[in-house]
Amino acid sequence: MIHEYTIGLAVAFTGIAVAFLALARERDDLHRLLLTDLAEILSLAVIALVGTDLAEALILPGLVVGISELMALSEIYLKKEKLYDEPKERVHFEVMDTAPGILAAALVVYGLVLSGFSGGVVAGLGVVFWFLCKGHREQFELLETVSGYAWAAWIGAFLVFMFLPQYWFFAVMIAGSAVLVKVMTKMSLLGTMRGGQNA
Amino acid sequence: MPEFTGGAIGGDLLAAVPFGDIVNYITPLTASLFVVALLFTVFAIISRPEKQLDIVFGTEAIYTKEVTPDELRFRRFMAVACGIATMGAMVSGDIFNFTLFVSLIGITIIGIVAAVKNQHVLNAAFQYGIVAMTATVPLFAGAAITLATTGTLSIWELSAGAGVPLIAKLLLLLGVMGEGIAPFYAAKTELFRAPGAPYVILIHVSSLLMFLRVVEILLAV
Repeated sequence: MIHEYTIGLAVAFTGIAVAFLALARERDDLHRLLLTDLAEILSLAVIALVGTDLAEALILPGLVVGISELMALSEIYLKKEKLYDEPKERVHFEVMDTAPGILAAALVVYGLVLSGFSGGVVAGLGVVFWFLCKGHREQFELLETVSGYAWAAWIGAFLVFMFLPQYWFFAVMIAGSAVLVKVMTKMSLLGTMRGGQNA
Repeated sequence: MPEFTGGAIGGDLLAAVPFGDIVNYITPLTASLFVVALLFTVFAIISRPEKQLDIVFGTEAIYTKEVTPDELRFRRFMAVACGIATMGAMVSGDIFNFTLFVSLIGITIIGIVAAVKNQHVLNAAFQYGIVAMTATVPLFAGAAITLATTGTLSIWELSAGAGVPLIAKLLLLLGVMGEGIAPFYAAKTELFRAPGAPYVILIHVSSLLMFLRVVEILLAV
């Protein structure tokens, strides 16, 4: 009987081999950029195969590194191909004028109910949708500020864990909501990415 | 905590900063690598960028490549970030932290030249970035396999003879090679078309230093 981990590893490495083969054969730069993301996801799969709490803790930095590399490379691609111009006529449906308020509010509220990391993603989706429909000019700095405060609150909660462990519930609440806000703002940064001077 | 046995390569243990089972240790080797990284970071902070001269063949015309203040600020920031990431990779006592620092070096190397408005440099940066990005796959895979087979990521614990599988070591080495060194030199030479000497030098220094460190790690574990 082969160990489960070995089987998983074999599957993951087959995927990696396929991704690398595709990368070697692909000539179009944009497609290669997309394929590197595929390879990146497979490396997260290899980490996830470890299957412990620690693996979960390792996936997050791995994901952050992957996303930041992808964003940096996309920026270089835009510059390299001289794709600076913002499109004048964007995708526009009537529903984008009427729905954002309700949908974004519903998603944000549901995200608050979920709380923590997954809640942040749901609430972030709501904010992404809002920015996508309503424009994003001034919100960028606001988001950065909010994200900074959330980070500080998160660190503060950890300090409470370390130095005042008896108030752990208070710290859990702060850390939970701070992570929610942090993930939410990160997600909504994606909604503001459209080139322009802020990007 | 087991006795430190990685000293055969790096020299005697000078200091150790334990965080649980992760122990950041300093040996003469890592200390000197750290100092070199620090030195070059300081160079990047205090020095002004060089201005390359291009001579047009067959004429007496000479172009000076200017570095605008905006570009200068961004590139200096990226160079300093690269130096800090290198310093982190030099003293990290945890394989996963080491891989994270190494991939951070990869990102900042791209960042150092990303603000340059030169088609060749941008092309090279893009190709190098693709290699650096795919190199995180073997890097993380190496760290993950190490964790799965030995149950720890601490170089200190691993140096006691936990038996890191050869494949994990090879993957780690492959990842570091992809993030910064030899086989992809062609792309890196193109990166050096970017003006601004102290910053592009950090590209070189960081990749050399991380190669030295990964050899130390691979021999220790």
